[in-house]
Amino acid sequence: MADAVVVEGLHKRYGTVWAVRGVSFAVEHGEIFALLGPNGAGKTTTMEILEGFRGRDLGRVDVLGLDPGERATERLLRERIGLVLQDIAVEPWLTVRETVARDAGCYSAPRDVDEVIDLVGLAGLERKKVRALSGGQKRRLDLALGLIGDPGLLFLDEPTTGFDPHARRGAWQLIRDLREAGITIVLTTHSMDEAQELADRVAVIADGRIVAEGSPAALGGRDTARARIRFALPPPTTVADLPVPATPGADGLVTVESAELTRTLHRLTVWALRRDTVLAGLTVDRPSLEDVYLRLTDQDHSAPRRSAP
Amino acid sequence: MSITAHRAATGRTPGPGRGPRLGLLWHQIRYEQLSFWRNPQSALFTFAFPVVVMAIFGALFGGIGKSAFYYGRSALQYYVSTIAAVSVLGSCYSQLAIVLATRRQNGILKRVRATPLSAFAYFVGLLAHCVLVGVVDVLLITAVGRIYGVSLPAASQWPSLAVTLVLGGAAFCALGVAVASSVHNAEAAPPVVQLVLFPLVFVSGTYMPIHSAVLNGIAGALPVKPFNDALLRAFTTDQGGLPWRDYGVLLLWGIAGTAVAVRRFRWAPRTR
Repeated sequence: MADAVVVEGLHKRYGTVWAVRGVSFAVEHGEIFALLGPNGAGKTTTMEILEGFRGRDLGRVDVLGLDPGERATERLLRERIGLVLQDIAVEPWLTVRETVARDAGCYSAPRDVDEVIDLVGLAGLERKKVRALSGGQKRRLDLALGLIGDPGLLFLDEPTTGFDPHARRGAWQLIRDLREAGITIVLTTHSMDEAQELADRVAVIADGRIVAEGSPAALGGRDTARARIRFALPPPTTVADLPVPATPGADGLVTVESAELTRTLHRLTVWALRRDTVLAGLTVDRPSLEDVYLRLTDQDHSAPRRSAP
Repeated sequence: MSITAHRAATGRTPGPGRGPRLGLLWHQIRYEQLSFWRNPQSALFTFAFPVVVMAIFGALFGGIGKSAFYYGRSALQYYVSTIAAVSVLGSCYSQLAIVLATRRQNGILKRVRATPLSAFAYFVGLLAHCVLVGVVDVLLITAVGRIYGVSLPAASQWPSLAVTLVLGGAAFCALGVAVASSVHNAEAAPPVVQLVLFPLVFVSGTYMPIHSAVLNGIAGALPVKPFNDALLRAFTTDQGGLPWRDYGVLLLWGIAGTAVAVRRFRWAPRTR
């Protein structure tokens, strides 16, 4: 089966500034795909082009076999995709059930209204006015509206922003359940935890281009990156006394990078035991997704983005 | 709760979208009505204002009988028609422009855009809702007029009255959408709406009859006076036929409003 979303050489220009310049990626059916990137990197523009809200200047975009820029198939696309966006709102004076039922009426084959309300965890609040809902409840209502048309593909724009940790876990589980039910999910997020927890694959967009793509575990060579060992030097030793190369840090800890973690750790601990001392504050880690993300997106944003595609 | 079970299931409740177009239209009108009546502000202002004005005018001008100043009508016969007209302007033109600008700013229009609902169905539903509200307004004002002794329109004029209300209502809705398309933020909508409306209703004789040929000539080509005149004719005469010239002017303004709306209407607020 062809991919759910295919983007090839996408370009979008605002005036003389190229906001998106050569973005390509594909989303497989049934996966959760996260698009990460700083504000102004072209993430929102790319999403809006996929959602059919914005035109493009160059490139090919295919969403469930349809071109979102094609007006003739716009309604067909709307029947098949669901949107949960930050800047989407509903009438404040209608009740939860009325709001969902209203949108259900716009689709040719919607899901059952009460079932969807139940699914997003708003059961019992059906008769409550939208204006009286809490922020988290409103986001769930947004999700209900994204699901009511029974979409095969769901776009989620920062789905858990503003959630408390419990609500966040709940939302993540719901999103995983949706994937299990066969819905393909494309989401944007600023939370590396969220990308790590949810996404099957991640693409990082910076300065209008995809700078890395892969599973959260392997993004930017994370899985093969050198491990970092950090500890406090036992006085009165210096870096030069250590059996392996190390760099002192400003926080008083030294860092040892290693491609052979077991061996290096052994040498260090043997060294410490022989001196009858300890490696205080010892930690071992690999670059976190956030480290990789920060490295990938750390660019000089003052540089002009006027290069031709 | 099983999601998978649902997707495997085949039996789904067909929504109005699957039925005939009329079903979808009714669906839209129903929810527009719900949103409208639930909001105490919109309901109160839309209906209270014309009724209060009519009640005050009744008390002020109740004693003025038929005179040349009111084109051979009594003052209240005249004002029932013009206040009815201005209430339709309020529900169709002013309300619609402000509601659309607000909905766009809030993101409600973007939500509509995210569904397969066609722009046509959305706007026809909205327009029908506005015209309905305008008709309720006209009925209320007619009732207040009746209390002050103004007679009801002649039975022969009901068809003309209906055509005038629907055509005028639709034309003013189109102009309302045109104004909403031309302002960029919701805060600008009410002042722009009033700036256009205020001088227009005055030169069109809504609050006092105009006896200047020049002014009447100008106002006759603008949308409000033809609407006033057509309503005045329906409310206070038993002439046969229809006021085609007034309808023609209203139709042209309706087309002009639609043209601007179609070219310039935006579903989302300006971002760049």
